[in-house]
Amino acid sequence: MQARMWTRGLIGVGAAAAFAVQAPALAQETIKIGVPTALSGTYADLGNQAKRAVEFAVNEVNAKGGIGGRKLEVKVLDTEAKPDVARKQAEKLALEGYKILTGTIASGEGLAMAPMLERWDALYVVTINKADALTGANCVPRVFRVNHPDEQDAAIVRPWLGTRKETKWAIVAADIAWGRNSGKSFAAAAKANGKELVGEFYPAFGTNDFAPYIQQVKNSGAQGVWIALAGRDAINFATQAKQFGLLDSTFVAGVSFVTDNTVKTLGDTSKGIWGIINYSSTLDTPANKRFVEAWKKAYNGDEPTNFEGETYIGMQVIIQAIERAKSAKPLDVARAMSGGTFDTLYGKSQIRAADHQMVQPNYFGYVGAQGGKLRPIITTTFAADQATPPPSGECKMPKL
Amino acid sequence: MSRQAESSALAAAPPGAAPARWTWSVLAAALAAGALLPQVVTSTLAITLLTQAVIGGILATAVGLLIRQAGLVSFGHAAFFGLAGYFIALPARHGLWPAEVSIVLAVAAPTLLAFLLGLVIVRIPGVAFSMLTLAIGQAFHEFALRAREITGGEDGFAISLPRALYGVPTEIFQRPQSMFVIAWVALVVILFGLHLLTRTRFGRVTAAIRENEERARFLGYQTVVPRALVFALSALIGAVAGTLFALYNAFVSPEMLHWSLSGSALIMAIVGGTKLLWGPALGGVVFFFFKDLAGDLTEHWPAMIGLTLIVVTVALPLGIGGALVRLLQRLRPAGGRTHG
Repeated sequence: MQARMWTRGLIGVGAAAAFAVQAPALAQETIKIGVPTALSGTYADLGNQAKRAVEFAVNEVNAKGGIGGRKLEVKVLDTEAKPDVARKQAEKLALEGYKILTGTIASGEGLAMAPMLERWDALYVVTINKADALTGANCVPRVFRVNHPDEQDAAIVRPWLGTRKETKWAIVAADIAWGRNSGKSFAAAAKANGKELVGEFYPAFGTNDFAPYIQQVKNSGAQGVWIALAGRDAINFATQAKQFGLLDSTFVAGVSFVTDNTVKTLGDTSKGIWGIINYSSTLDTPANKRFVEAWKKAYNGDEPTNFEGETYIGMQVIIQAIERAKSAKPLDVARAMSGGTFDTLYGKSQIRAADHQMVQPNYFGYVGAQGGKLRPIITTTFAADQATPPPSGECKMPKL
Repeated sequence: MSRQAESSALAAAPPGAAPARWTWSVLAAALAAGALLPQVVTSTLAITLLTQAVIGGILATAVGLLIRQAGLVSFGHAAFFGLAGYFIALPARHGLWPAEVSIVLAVAAPTLLAFLLGLVIVRIPGVAFSMLTLAIGQAFHEFALRAREITGGEDGFAISLPRALYGVPTEIFQRPQSMFVIAWVALVVILFGLHLLTRTRFGRVTAAIRENEERARFLGYQTVVPRALVFALSALIGAVAGTLFALYNAFVSPEMLHWSLSGSALIMAIVGGTKLLWGPALGGVVFFFFKDLAGDLTEHWPAMIGLTLIVVTVALPLGIGGALVRLLQRLRPAGGRTHG
């Protein structure tokens, strides 16, 4: 009796082992997309937007039968927007087979992941990180960016700043790679336009009490303030700046500051604030109109936000590159991406081979009422060639 | 069970006795198991998670040692862990001296710092001591965050290590299979070293001070230096964990210094059981995998960890390790007497 139980047990173990061996072979059938993004903390709102956009794109593709008969599968892990956590979670995803990564929020996270991609045999498509270094000094063959880096934003801030009458400016930006980058670019733009910079403030990422910074901006005598704060930082700053009267006494503009989602939260507080608009659901392209309609149907009439649109563009590029490569191996997909032209929400957009940056238009506007709703409204459109500076030359891209 | 009976049941052997033969067998078995594991477990993911878990276990051992041997609760052990990381990373970033020197400093400097700090702060009892360690830890965190030019600020930076360290290819420290063995050996050697240490005169004196500092002082013992030494030893173990972490990840950020890491280390130690030498290490490994699992299941994983901590502290006051020992004793009623 005992012996028989043993053999039965052994057969069971054997069967389990055989299944375990087979499982990876079956898993190869699906194409795995990994999303290491912020689901908790200061950038949780951004991370959830990235997650929604990836899931939307995946459902869309799977409803059509997948790519070449292979379904897409997504796994999302929380990075808390911390570089070291992002690195760990991305590694975990890559080792579990989710080697095509996208949807990460903070630039510091992207910069921490980039040098590891080769070791993980992974690929990272940037849809929200803005630090120039990712497609500049720290570029690597397995990183591609479809959103606007800081230098693209700076390229449209410079001419716009020339049209403003305010002569004294201050900067308030998050003390992380992106905020520092934006502050530096704005300082250069101010100088080029003969404006005086009266204060630069870099509150820590995740600051709750902005009162000391707001007071210092007021004391500096600035007539205009440039803000590079996002997520909960943006909400906290804007709410407190309203209470302290800064928004009423000073001209305010920024980047990723008054976005579709922060405007929803802030309401009238955000009215009249100017800023860069990287993507808007109001863009007048056939592809975008189709996307917005499908999105509204999927999400109870909600329109896609700027971060959702940008992350969706990342998924468009990933899907088309896999189709072209006829493979979901990161290296094959990367080769298809480098130098390729893709159908995106903006129209046809090329990813430059020199630095893996996508060339796309950029927009500027302010928060106002449109269609009975408060939202960022585009006033100026900068065409792709005008909005995208040539490769900085800091990126020495090794061959793929 | 009275408190005394409990602690005697949990102590492996009476203090002062020479290490029994079985302890050497345990040491050999533990080392062999660690060396064999990467041969058996083929999943790279499992090995990389185990490696991180063992490094967490070393940090938890550091915190647990301080509680067990000095009765002091540290809320700032991330400072020693993170300092070790920055001692490896910063000289490489600014081209100051060879990485081999940095690694020695990464372990030595936090230890020395802890000894000097210890001479002052171990005199302060209870919560005040914990608050001081918290303040010291956060001071380093704030510096790493603010001194952007030097440390890279919030974003941290990748450590550029040479191809070989002490003639060993750096690759060895970054491949999960080999790094797991290194981290495991470090943990086992540390636990074994501490096991021997508790049997020495130093071990008994510090235990006496922990139980009643005033009485130990009246008996003529110096009570500050021994406790500062325990604090330094605990920092040394934390620094070893930080060194391994930095070599493995080749990346540092202020998170390595943040109080939340100190808090996690403390949770690991409590969950594992601080009465036992190996309790915190067990807690570290369990905590790591639990956090990993919870993170896979829900984005509200911090709540799951909080709830579990409450359940463990209420239901298992001696931690998982203590519960295991009790279970074993119940299964083998005569087992406790074999070397009694």
